[in-house]
Order: sequence, then C-alpha cells, then structure tokens
Amino acid sequence: MSTVFEDISQNLQKGKMAEVKVFVQQAIDEGISPQDILDNGLMAGMDVIGQRFKNNDIFIPEVLIAARAMSVGTDMLRPLLVSANVKSKGTVVIGTIKDDLHDIGKNLVRMMMESKGLNVIDIGTDVAPEKYVEAAIENNADVIACSALLTTTMVHIKDVVASIANSSIAGKVKLMVGGAPINADFCESVGADYYTPDAPTAAAKALEICALAHA
Amino acid sequence: MTGKQLILDVLQGKTVERCPWVPYTGSQIANLKGYTAEEIFKSADKLLECLIEAEEQYTPDGMPPIFDLQVEAEILGCDLTWYKNTPPTVCTHPLSGSELVIPTQRLEKTDGRIPLNLDVMRRFKAAKPDVAMYGLVCGPFTLASHLRGTNIFMDMYDNEEGVKALVNYCADVVADLAKFYIEAGCDIIAAVDPLVSQISPDMFETFLSEPYSRLFASIKEQGVPSSFFVCGDATKNIEPMCKTAPGCIAIDENVDIVEAKKVTDKYGITMSGNLQLTITMLLGTQQDNQKEAIELMEKMGTHLFILAPGCDVPFDAPAANLIGVGQAVHNREAVKKALENYTAKDNLPEIDLPDYESLDHVLVEVVSIDSKTCAACGYMVKAANDAQAICGDVKVEVVERSIMYPENISFMNKIELKNVPSIVINGEIKHVSLIPTVEQLREEIVLASQK
Repeated sequence: MSTVFEDISQNLQKGKMAEVKVFVQQAIDEGISPQDILDNGLMAGMDVIGQRFKNNDIFIPEVLIAARAMSVGTDMLRPLLVSANVKSKGTVVIGTIKDDLHDIGKNLVRMMMESKGLNVIDIGTDVAPEKYVEAAIENNADVIACSALLTTTMVHIKDVVASIANSSIAGKVKLMVGGAPINADFCESVGADYYTPDAPTAAAKALEICALAHA
Repeated sequence: MTGKQLILDVLQGKTVERCPWVPYTGSQIANLKGYTAEEIFKSADKLLECLIEAEEQYTPDGMPPIFDLQVEAEILGCDLTWYKNTPPTVCTHPLSGSELVIPTQRLEKTDGRIPLNLDVMRRFKAAKPDVAMYGLVCGPFTLASHLRGTNIFMDMYDNEEGVKALVNYCADVVADLAKFYIEAGCDIIAAVDPLVSQISPDMFETFLSEPYSRLFASIKEQGVPSSFFVCGDATKNIEPMCKTAPGCIAIDENVDIVEAKKVTDKYGITMSGNLQLTITMLLGTQQDNQKEAIELMEKMGTHLFILAPGCDVPFDAPAANLIGVGQAVHNREAVKKALENYTAKDNLPEIDLPDYESLDHVLVEVVSIDSKTCAACGYMVKAANDAQAICGDVKVEVVERSIMYPENISFMNKIELKNVPSIVINGEIKHVSLIPTVEQLREEIVLASQK
C-alpha cells in the first residue's frame, strides 16, 4: 500500500515544501482523488500541527513553516478540486478589531481554518465593525471571526455585535471572538456567539458552525 | 526600610520582612490626571505629574516611569500609531523587504523620545528617591520583530544567520538605552520581550541565549540588577531564560507561578508576577484585587518574590484596584480582616444611617481600612481634617469609619459604596479611592453647609 499520505503529512509537519510538492504530485500520478490527497495528506498533517501547537509542543515558527508547505500542496490541488466541482466547507470573514494592529494570532487562526478546508476572507487589521458585516454579506459568510490582543481594543467587539444585529445577516452569521485578554465570560457579556482559546480550537469550532449551517 | 531597599534585598536573595509591590503602571496612570495615553507619552510634565500621583496612590516599592516598548523601534524607523488609551503600536517595519539587511545605527541620548524619558526619570528620581525605579527597554527579539515584521518567524528557518545577526544588533541597541537609563538613575533595568513565549526552548537557545546573556551581563557590570519580562505562556522557556542570568523573571497569569518559581529558585532568580490583568485588575472589584494579592503573597512568601501585575496595567483598570493591592501589601492583616467582613455579608449588623437631612452641621465620613495602618486611608483622613481646619465658621464633623468594624461594612453596603478609602459628605459619596485636594474638599463642605 502506498505511504504517500503519510509522506505528505510528515513532510508538511517539518515544513519541507519541496518534498510536499514531490509527494503530492506522486499522489496525483497514482490517481488518488484531489479531495483524498487534501483530507488524508495535507489536512491530516495540519491537524497534527494544530494539536501539537495547542499542547505547547510546538510554537509559531513551526506552525508557519508547516502552513507554508501546506499552501504549496493546496496550490497544486486547487485546479483539480475546481474541475472536480469540490465545494468549500464554509466561509469565514476574519480580521483584528478596530485600533488593533496585532495580527500574528489572527494569521494563525486563518491558516488553521484554511487547513480545515474553509474559505477564509482575511480583511486585515484595525477593522471597523461595519466592515466585518459588509465583507460577510459580500462573501455570503457563515462566520465572522474577530481578534483583539489589547484590553483597550477588545471593548470594540460589542460594536461588531451591534453592527451584525442591525444588518440583514442578523441571526444568519455567527460571531467568534478570541485573543489574549478575551475569555468566555467576556464573550457572553458582549453578546458574541463563541469564544475559543487558541487557533486549532477556533478552526474546529468554525468548521462545526459551517457544517451546521450547510446541513 | 525603603521600598527600593526592599526590592534590592529581594533581588540579592535575602528573605525580607514583607513582599515588595511593583505595579507596572504605564498608560493607566494618565487617568489619574485626566490625560490621554498619548499626552503623557509625549509630555514630560504630564507624565511626571501622573507618576507622582500614582506613587502616592498606589504605594509601590518600585515602578517604571515609562512602559512603552516602541521607543527604540520609533528611532530605528518604525512608524507608530498613537492612541488615547494605550501605548503606541508599531505599524510599519523598515526591514520587511525580501532581503534582510542588518542596520548599523546605534542610539544616541538625543534620539527620538529618549530625552523626554531621561528628563522624566531624573525628575521622578529626585522627587521619589525611595522608590525603586525600573527602566524598561524593549526585549531584543520583540525589537527585531518590530523592525522585520512577522517575517522573522519564517526567517528563523530560512535565514538563521540573518536572524541571529538582527537579534544581536537589537541587543546592542537595547544595551545603549539601558546604559542611558542607568545614568538617569534607574535602579533596575527590565527587558520586556512578549514574543519570547511564541518560540520553542530550542529556538530560544539558538537565537536568544547569547544576546540575552550578554545584555544582562552588561547591565550587571554597571552595578544594576536586571529583570526579564515575558507575556503569554512562557512555561517552557522559563529555564532557558534563567540560564541567561537575569536578576528577576516577570511573568503573567498564563504561567503557573508556583511551578515556575521552583525553576527560578534553582537559579537563585527572583520571580515577579502575576496578578491577572483582565479578570481581576480590569474587570474585578477592589476586594477581588486584594483577595488575589493576598493569596499570591501567602503562596509565594518573602524570598525571591515580587508582587506585580502580569504586564502593563490596562488603561481602564480602576485606580481603586491598584490602591487596594497597595493596601493589601502594606496592611495585609487588616485587609484580610476587612475581606472576612465582606464575605460574612449575611451576618452583618443592621444599622441606621445618620439623619443627614436634619443635621445642624456638615458630616464628613471617611470610609477607610484603617488610617493608622493604611497610607492611602491616612492621606484621605488628613485631607478631611485639613479641609475642616480651613472651613472658618462652617460647623464640620469628620468621622473615620474603618471597615475593620462590621457595622462600617454595613454602612458601605447601605450607601452602595464599593471601594475604600472614600469620602462621604452628608450622605453623598464624593470621592472614591482618589484623594481630593484640601481646597476641593473645603469647597464641597461649604457648598453642603449651604444646602
């Protein structure tokens, strides 16, 4: 039996772009479907990375190089997935809250979400509340994800809650929040839908929300 | 013994009479005088005014005059975005291009906001010589990320030598600033490096061990102790940090401080931390803060430990919370007794409030822990007495209501007062935690007499 899934996963975890490229091509040549290569090779590798990051076994540099290796693989698969008419598992709009320029955490969450097969629209840093809503409407998003690193900026999350409540997507889109100073109590107090403490958990929760929305 | 000596003794490994307290006050102190964060970081006079007030209100043993990790980055070409309620943030990275070119610029005393900081340090030192003055510099790794941007994380794999050179350069720059701060009177130099929690111990040893060891050794050679500040879950890096030989390691609530101290104790290094910034200091009550401070002090003891917030105090953290921690440090037993009274709310005695409407005089009630043992309470009582003395013909009675007595907790509950020390004039809560000027109080008393 071919070990190509394991080869892809292992090399992705080590951030080895060239090797990931070779083994993804091998899998394609073996006639494996692009969806299987994505799920059992690339995403399987990123799942391990996510779990190890959550457990504090690895840190940001290791996650970033793994995500970079993953993108090499997904770039190869994308045209094949499109021609096979594979649909995205859901759409997330993500950005850091107004006045907050700290985007390391947000970028990690984006990568983890992408590695779960979600379509992620990154609207950057210092995002005004109405911009989240505009992007969500434009992209027919299932989830809006806001991050804040500062105690002084996290208070703006309640403005995003209000913007959603006053929009045409109220009740349709779910608001996820995260970042160093935020916790479940704060999430509840401002009326956001979900708080997750780290990037892998955020990605899993977003996937769960999207699966429910598309059920 | 002065607060400064207490801290220096702890850093020398001595067991001390009580736990020292260092509130990492930064932009938060702007609130004490109604300024914005930007105003105090750009005006020596305003910053100094707030520092003097903070020292009197928060009763610290040590404090940093400036908590702003962008000073070096701004000089080296990063653009800053300024805010009303937080320190500035770096918004551009001059070395973010594809090729990593190591700069050669070193800091001069005349660069950027350094002259302002040195001026404030000299004046604060002269005004408050008994307080240990912390000079805060940006940690070399965080400074490197300010310059390079988040590319630095990829560079750690793709360009190991480049990152080593950049971090070493940043360590040299930071050492320049540390030297200036020491010359301006700083008693301790702290390198604040929040990004340290984002890399593995292997990466730490590869990229940071050597520059940090060098930095701390150079500070020590100047006869000054050092501190290594980190934010986030730095649990796995505590031991590598110890090996760089700082005098102290400062952590936030993401690290189990009891476990971390077992590691720092092995190296004879002081541990500092880790009052919860959001849950307790920003969102909690004064009593929550006192309870957490007492629990921490009792857990950590009086050897190789300094009580402090996990990091820079949030801008909106109420002054009452920091005042409350100061009370718990200086009057632990009295505060414990008061907290017991709070928690025994159901058993508190029923009381009748004075008949404020029918008084033939102005009644000034100072609600305190105990003015004999609590410095802030003593200042509050003194302000009331001094105001009474200059009220001329107005008949004034000043009463201290110490919450060491359960009936005064009942009093607080009945008038819905949350924090002490406070001043109530004819039943109206006038001042909570912040001590008014005598003139302001006199005016309020005269006004109350005319009603």
